[in-house]
Amino acid sequence: MLETVFSGQLLFAAAVLGVLYAVIGLGLNLVYGTMRLLNIAHGDILMLGAYAAFWWFTLTGLSPLLTLPLVAVAAAGLGIGLYVAFFRRHLASGAHVAVVEARSLLIFFGISVAIQNAMAWAFTSTPRAYRYLDGVWHLGDTAMTGNRIAALAVGVGVLLAMLVFLNRTLFGLEIKALIQHREAARIVGINVDRVQLFAIGLGFAVAGIGGVLLSMTEQITPFMGFPFTIGAFVVIIMGGLGNIRGGIVAGFALAFVEIYLVTLTSANLRSILVYGIFVAVLLIRPQGLLSRARRA
Amino acid sequence: MMKRLFAGLAATVLAASAAWAADPVKIGYTIAKTGLFSNAAPSQITAYDLWAEQVNADGGLDVAGEKRPVELIQYDDESDPAKAAQLYERLITSDEVDLLLAPWGTPHHLNVAGVVERYGFPMVGNTAASVAIREVAPGNIWFPTSAIPDKIGPELAAMLKEAGVGSAAVIANVLPFAQENLQYLVPALEEAGIEVAMNESYPPDIKDMTPLLTQIKNSGADAVIALSYPADSFLYMGQARELGIDQPYQFLLVGPTIAAFNGAFGPAADGIITLGHWSPQQADWTKAQPFYDAYVAKYEMEPDYLDTALAYMSAEILQQAVAEAGLDHDALRSAIANGSFETINGTIEFDGVENAVTPTAFLQRQAGETHIVWPPAIATAPLKKR
Repeated sequence: MLETVFSGQLLFAAAVLGVLYAVIGLGLNLVYGTMRLLNIAHGDILMLGAYAAFWWFTLTGLSPLLTLPLVAVAAAGLGIGLYVAFFRRHLASGAHVAVVEARSLLIFFGISVAIQNAMAWAFTSTPRAYRYLDGVWHLGDTAMTGNRIAALAVGVGVLLAMLVFLNRTLFGLEIKALIQHREAARIVGINVDRVQLFAIGLGFAVAGIGGVLLSMTEQITPFMGFPFTIGAFVVIIMGGLGNIRGGIVAGFALAFVEIYLVTLTSANLRSILVYGIFVAVLLIRPQGLLSRARRA
Repeated sequence: MMKRLFAGLAATVLAASAAWAADPVKIGYTIAKTGLFSNAAPSQITAYDLWAEQVNADGGLDVAGEKRPVELIQYDDESDPAKAAQLYERLITSDEVDLLLAPWGTPHHLNVAGVVERYGFPMVGNTAASVAIREVAPGNIWFPTSAIPDKIGPELAAMLKEAGVGSAAVIANVLPFAQENLQYLVPALEEAGIEVAMNESYPPDIKDMTPLLTQIKNSGADAVIALSYPADSFLYMGQARELGIDQPYQFLLVGPTIAAFNGAFGPAADGIITLGHWSPQQADWTKAQPFYDAYVAKYEMEPDYLDTALAYMSAEILQQAVAEAGLDHDALRSAIANGSFETINGTIEFDGVENAVTPTAFLQRQAGETHIVWPPAIATAPLKKR
C-alpha cells in the first residue's frame, strides 16, 4: 500500500486533476470575483471549447492545441458580448451584491439551457471523441499518456501566466483591486467598466482553454458541462470566493484529496470524501482556505 | 425500349402517388432529447428515422395489405420518466397516433408501461434491460432485449470459465444497471469457481480512476470486469492504457458499442469485450449487414450495436405485426404476442414480455470489427485474448 501511495503514478494523476480543477475554477473565480456574477453556464463554455477542438481536429487533422488561441479569443468575445448585453447596465446601476448574484444566476441559467440545446440541435447529443497524443510515455515507474502530459503542461502554463499577469501588470493589479473592493477601486480612479469587460473575457477564455484540454481525454456531448460547473463552484468556494490564489490551491487540494484518500479508503467513498472535505472547510474556514475573515 | 421505360416510370409514379394519397400512419414516441440521458437518445432516434425513411422509400407501411406513408411524432421527455408517461398519454389521446415506438431506457419503459396498459395500446419496447421488466403486466408491452442482468452474470462467468480465467477484478458504477448486474455477477463468478480478487464500486462522477486501476493491477487477476457506463468506460480505457493494465480479458458493460468509443481509442479498443447481442458479422441474420450499410451510408458512423440495433428491431417487429394485423389494437396485440419476426437480430418471438429466442451475448472488437464471441451458437468469431 505504501509503495502505491508514494508512487509517481498517483502524483501524476493528482497533478493532472489538480491543474484541471484549478483552471476550471480560475475562470469562474475571475467572473465572480470582479463582478459577483454567478456564472452557472461556466461548464457550457468549457463544452463549447471542447467542441471547437473536436471539430478542428476532425476537419483539419491538425493539433487541437492549435485551437487554444482561437478558442480563447472566441470565448472571450462571447463573455464580452454577454457582459454588454446583460450585465453592464445592471452593474453600473450600483445594485446590491445579493441582487447582482440572484439576477446573474437566473440569466446564466437561461444562457446555459440555450447553449446546451443549441449545441444539441446543431450537432445532436451523440457523444464525440478523438484520438490525439494517446501514446504512453514512461518516466521511471510512472506511465503518462501524451494528452494528459499536454493538459498538465498547458494548464500549468495558463495558471502561471495568470498569476504573473494578476500580480505583475497594472491591468492585473486593477483586476485584483476590483476583486478586493469595488467601490475603493472606483474611487482611486480605476475604470471599473473596462476592467469588468476584460475580466469576463479573461474568465471565459480560461474556461474555453479548459474545454480544449478536457476534449483530449473526455467524451464530448452538449450536456457535459454541468458537472464541471459544480466542480468549479466547489473549488472557488473552498478557496474563498474571488480569491484567485485560494482557488488554485483549492483545486489542487481537492484533487490530492480525491486521489490519495480514495487510494487509502475506497473509490465508493469518493463523493463522500470530496464533499465531506468541502463541508469541513466551510465549517472551519467559511471564508475559504486562504482568505481572511472579514469583520463587520 | 423507350416505350417500356416510360410505361415502367408511369407505373412507379402511379404506385407512389397511390401510396402517398393514403392517410399517413402516425407513429408517436418520446425520447430524452435533453437532460441526463440525452447522450443516449441519438442512437435510438437515428434508428427510428432510418426505419421510417426506408419504409416510405418502399412505398409506405403495409397496413394489412394497404401501403400508407409513415409520419413520426416525437416529443422530448427531458429524461424524466414521469414526463414520458404524460406525453405517451398525450400521443394516444390528443395526437391520436396509430402506433407507438418506445422511449429510451428502463425507467421510461416501466413508467410508460402503465399508460399503454391503461389504454390497451400495444407497444414494442427496446432499450429496457432490468429484471424489473418481468414485473410488468404482459399484454401491451414487449422487450426484445436479451441483456437482462440475471442472465448476463451467469453467461459472463460461463464465458470466462471456458476461457480458463481463474480470477477476476470487478469494479462497478453505483448506478442501477451496473449494480443490478453486480448483484448477479459475483455469485455467478464464485459458482463458476472464478475467484473475485477485487470488488469495488465507484460513483458516476468519478474523474480519475488511477487508484482503482492501481488496485486492479496489484490484484493480479486474470480478467477485469468493469460494470461501467459510457463516461466511465472512456475514463477506464484511457487510464488503463496509461497504467498498462494488460489482463487478457477486459469487459466493459456499456460504452464500447458507441461509435465515439472507437473514435477515441481506435485499435487500442481491440480485444475489449462488451454487452451486446447483435453484429452485422452474423451472416445467418440476412438483414443485419444491409442495415449496417444503410446506417453507415446515412449517418457516416457505425450504429450503436446495442441501442440502435434494439430500436431498429422493435420497429421491424411492429412493421411485420401491422402488415399482418393492421392497426386494430386487439389484432395487433395478438400478432405481436404470437408472431415470429425476422429482424436484423434474426428471428424474434415473445414469451410473455420477454424475447424467447435471442440468447444473452457478448461482443468483442477484433481488428476493427465487432464480433459476437459468446454464446457459441451465434458467435461470429472465437473470444480472443487482448
